[in-house]
Amino acid sequence: MPNQIISFRLNGEVIEIAVSPAEMLLDVLREKMHLTGTKRGCGKGECGACTIIFNGKAMNACLIPAMRAQGADIQTIEGVEGEGGLHPLQQSFIDKGAVQCGFCTPGMIMSAKALLDKNKSPSKDQIREAVGGNICRCTGYVKIEEAVEDAARNLRANAVKGGDL
Amino acid sequence: MVQNYVFPATVSEAVTVLSTNRGKARIIAGGTDLMLELQDGKNTCDVLVDLTQIAELKNITEENGFIRIGASVTHAQAAKSELVLKHAPALAQACRKVGSLQIRNMGTIIGNIVTGNPAADAAVALACLETTAEITTQEGMQTMPLEDMYAGVCLSCIDSCCQVVTHVRFPVKQKGQGSAYLRMEQRKALALPMLAVSAMVELDGDAFKWARVLIAPVGAGPQHALDAEEFLKGAPLTSATMAEAGQLARNQAMFRSSAIRGSKEYRMGVLPVFIERVLQAAVEDARKA
Amino acid sequence: MSQFEYVGKSVNRRDGVDKTTGRGLFTTDIFLPGMLFAKVLRSPHPHARIVSIDTSEAEKLPGVKAVMTHKNGPKNLFNAAVPMFLTIPQLERVLDQLLFDEIVRHVGDEVAAVAATSEAVAEKALALIKVEYEILPAVFDPLEAMKPEAPELHPGKGCTPEGRNIPAEIVKIPYNDVEKGLAESDVIIEETFELPVVKQVQMETQAAVAQVDGDGNVTVWSTTQTPHPSRAILGKIFDIPAGKIRVLAPPYVGGGFGVRIGLSGKAEPIAMGLALLAKRPVKMIYTRKEDFIASDTRHSGYVTIKLGAKKDGTFQALDMKAVLNTGAFCTFGAELPGVCGAMTLAIYRIPHQRYFGHSVYTNCTSAGAMRGFGNPQGNLAMEQAVDMMAEKLGMDPMELRKKNIMRPGDPWCLPYPCGTSELPECIRQGAESIGWSRRGKLNEPGSVKLRGLGMAVGTHVSNAWPFCVDYDNAYVTIQSDGSAQVASGVPDIGTGTSTSLVQIAAETLGMNMDNVGLTYGDTLGTPFDIGSHASRTCYAAGTAIKAAAADARKQILDYAAGYFNIPAERLEIKKGVIAPMAESLGECSGSGLCQLEEVKEGKGNSVTMEELAYHAHVRNKQFIGVGRIVPENAPPWHACFAEVEVDTRTGQVRVVKLTAAHDVGRAINPMIVEGQIEGGAVQGIGYALSEEITYNDKGRQQQYSMHNYMLPTAEDTPEIHSIIVESHDPTGPFGAKGAGECSLVCPASAIANAVADATGYRFKKIPMTPERVFKALNS
Repeated sequence: MPNQIISFRLNGEVIEIAVSPAEMLLDVLREKMHLTGTKRGCGKGECGACTIIFNGKAMNACLIPAMRAQGADIQTIEGVEGEGGLHPLQQSFIDKGAVQCGFCTPGMIMSAKALLDKNKSPSKDQIREAVGGNICRCTGYVKIEEAVEDAARNLRANAVKGGDL
Repeated sequence: MVQNYVFPATVSEAVTVLSTNRGKARIIAGGTDLMLELQDGKNTCDVLVDLTQIAELKNITEENGFIRIGASVTHAQAAKSELVLKHAPALAQACRKVGSLQIRNMGTIIGNIVTGNPAADAAVALACLETTAEITTQEGMQTMPLEDMYAGVCLSCIDSCCQVVTHVRFPVKQKGQGSAYLRMEQRKALALPMLAVSAMVELDGDAFKWARVLIAPVGAGPQHALDAEEFLKGAPLTSATMAEAGQLARNQAMFRSSAIRGSKEYRMGVLPVFIERVLQAAVEDARKA
Repeated sequence: MSQFEYVGKSVNRRDGVDKTTGRGLFTTDIFLPGMLFAKVLRSPHPHARIVSIDTSEAEKLPGVKAVMTHKNGPKNLFNAAVPMFLTIPQLERVLDQLLFDEIVRHVGDEVAAVAATSEAVAEKALALIKVEYEILPAVFDPLEAMKPEAPELHPGKGCTPEGRNIPAEIVKIPYNDVEKGLAESDVIIEETFELPVVKQVQMETQAAVAQVDGDGNVTVWSTTQTPHPSRAILGKIFDIPAGKIRVLAPPYVGGGFGVRIGLSGKAEPIAMGLALLAKRPVKMIYTRKEDFIASDTRHSGYVTIKLGAKKDGTFQALDMKAVLNTGAFCTFGAELPGVCGAMTLAIYRIPHQRYFGHSVYTNCTSAGAMRGFGNPQGNLAMEQAVDMMAEKLGMDPMELRKKNIMRPGDPWCLPYPCGTSELPECIRQGAESIGWSRRGKLNEPGSVKLRGLGMAVGTHVSNAWPFCVDYDNAYVTIQSDGSAQVASGVPDIGTGTSTSLVQIAAETLGMNMDNVGLTYGDTLGTPFDIGSHASRTCYAAGTAIKAAAADARKQILDYAAGYFNIPAERLEIKKGVIAPMAESLGECSGSGLCQLEEVKEGKGNSVTMEELAYHAHVRNKQFIGVGRIVPENAPPWHACFAEVEVDTRTGQVRVVKLTAAHDVGRAINPMIVEGQIEGGAVQGIGYALSEEITYNDKGRQQQYSMHNYMLPTAEDTPEIHSIIVESHDPTGPFGAKGAGECSLVCPASAIANAVADATGYRFKKIPMTPERVFKALNS
């Protein structure tokens, strides 16, 4: 079946790639583009390991038809680190011990980032809602929530200081 | 195997593509259910017709005494929409419960109806709101009440290879009216409900004027608890009334036993308390306005 | 304040940046030139003989490069789990698996495997394989499987003649005279508890990539928790010398929880077998469903406790029995019943005890190691029996436990001493955290939602001895630039060992952590280690690393002593600088750190590691420390407290708060230990309330996806309070004891006891789903 060329913004850069109308975005990212940061935990949208930010919203890449990426603005874990270093979320995840085996981590960070990009003062409930669709079997979620709160605090402080995050 | 994936700019274009492909093309809105069905081989098609670029389908609007929701409106959108929160809290509550935030960001309200899944949260809530669907085909536009859209368990009356449900609508909330949704769940995210109920009431002083009470999954589509609804007409607004309504709801509750979602006995056993609690919540909502 | 530089500090994990940026590679991320993709055809029947299998159409499909079935697969019997190489010499090993067999023994058992140029082609090929099955009678419950009329799953493969379908031996632990003890008891509690099948559900499914070079050397990247034993198992399956096989983690592994102590399901041998046939690398990744139905679960089964006590609460006798469902293959079915019994018998000081326990084969997915390894099952039964005893005696369950828990020096059934215990302190702090004094005063009459408090205590091990062979090796080499390289055969499956072990090494050497590198999880560059499991990595591998580092340190100081002209014992290494412990002997010129020659001339009093190492290097010497240890063992202790709220009208149980207090000896890295406690606590909540795999009457698993297997999400997590209490055990490195599995031993027991406190109803079967609770409260 004929591939079609699509074009979209990926981690800030416009790219063009040929995809099959039957493909899912997750396969395009991992198998075609070798961006292996986004993980496959179940392939059915039931675990959140493949979470990316699609037009500003957290979504499971395993359920997004690749063709729908046309014209979209997509962020994966590979695009989170900035020129100046780790994003506050990444740093907080490390500082607060929210990383164990690391397999859920990219998806968790993308879910949390989608939240903090829009709301730098989330409530505990809002944080839980944001990561409710990301399964972690190692941490019990405790330090993950602490890390998101910590990152939110730092982002707020940065905003006050006039930082560009 | 999907050979082609198109983005029509208008509804009319969409129906044309469907028509041209004579049953080999089908509509995709969110796709969270459809993609799994295609992967599992439970559904096949050659062409996917994606509605998400059609501007007129993306909104929740108030028009002519109705709240109107387009085919691309997602659960996340509805759960946070001021219009929905004001006029149909049942729907906002139901949408909030679907899957996960990732799924809610992609899955659509109308998709929730068209999959025909009897436990679909949003559909159960819409059923208490007197919802009508607007459907477009090559032949033109028609409307259909929500209860007529279910052909069987997980079987919709809608043929997504030739029909596009463009909108659903329900009347704006009047004074004295309220709605609510409740589900019995095995965990708080990433779970289908074991049991879902919705209720819309209109109060008249210290009494129920009427009530719509829906139960799922008890067959194709949400089912009215007819005996309870009948009983509630004009009934006094007391806990005893709501408890009785809860018991009466069992008359229409044809639960089956499911290995994963609970036995018939259990669901029949807890149904009354869920009916009571959803009625209480609907009453509270009615009193707010 | 810690007297240590690194030990006891919550140092940030070394793999943190890799994992938070997506840079870190897991087995599923590996792509090799020419790589093929493997898919497996699995049995739809719980028990059947393959009468015929025709793969000719599949082989013809363009893109298919290799197909394997029982016809062309290897014929050596093996055990996919480490007992194949770690069974203690007194016992017979159970080898009951073939890579592909003519008989399939559970729904999901392997029938054929295909390697093709894409997953899609491989899937298509599977559909072209024609199999004719002769259905055999199947059995799913272990008690049924022991009956004389039950079908035999593994005739002639090492079952004990003492029963039917019982692999290996029955574990019998006699301890004095239990009949006498029971006779001397004033009160006896006897009850049987039923435990469900639950699953590890680690986030990365079973996976392996195998590559064969021109000389027949095999490299296997995999998710295994035990590279060295897995390499040995692969060698035996394929009759290839272990020295020609390399097994490594890439370096990251997406969790384990016991599911891959040994092979990762059959991912490694299938990938390897197909790679040998196709002469191209092969990647085998289990789908989530395959991971659920075709890799080891926890043992379900029945545990019976008969507990006798005096009127004053002193325990006199404990008679314990366990019948555990080991499923279609034995894997750990021989050892696990032993741990179940021993760990339960070891909690309390009971003069007369007896344990009788074993596994039973059934046509279910094979059960194997899962965090706790039999201990959670025993604990659920014992700790509820203790509460039942407290009720009968009219005593507070906490006071009853405090009266009877083991104290250091008390005798018990284990071959190592009860050396340290801070369990009383764990209980004290846990009780305070949960507000134990509120117990019994939580509910108004007529409440619909009832609250209750419950507790449980337990112990575990710090490595696999005496249940398995357990020993560790490590070496530490000092490079010519003064940095250190540590080599250890354990992988990091997420528990942070790649950081904690470096803390141990750096502390022992006296060097900056940044200058200490770790080679781990790769059979190529490391000596034998039995791997990351049994809560052993810090305790046992850590002890070997400490020994190797101490050896290297001694060589360094012996070398330096000659130049300092003082005995080596009076030198120390601190932050990578070697200097005398006493007051300085004189000043240096220049930067403050000297050359060794200057020190010799009395012109200085310290040298850097770099200077010393280079000095030695140009004189043809390298410092190489070797650690070879056989670990002792030491009991970690835990106390768990739970507050629950039960909605009596729906049966829903909500955990309001869970407190877990752990004596882990010393927390090498407290933040990492807390993470282990919290993770296990949430797994325990799932075990207590919602996780379960059931089978229909056709032997099909009813729960096999993230969607229908009810493990807790972030929205289900209650307040969790983790507490670390330290007892500084002298047998562990810097006083450490085991930690990894401990957190899953008690939570379910505490929650069950809390539910009993709230409702007055005691659940003999978990999980306590809303349906079960509703039925109990409304019948």
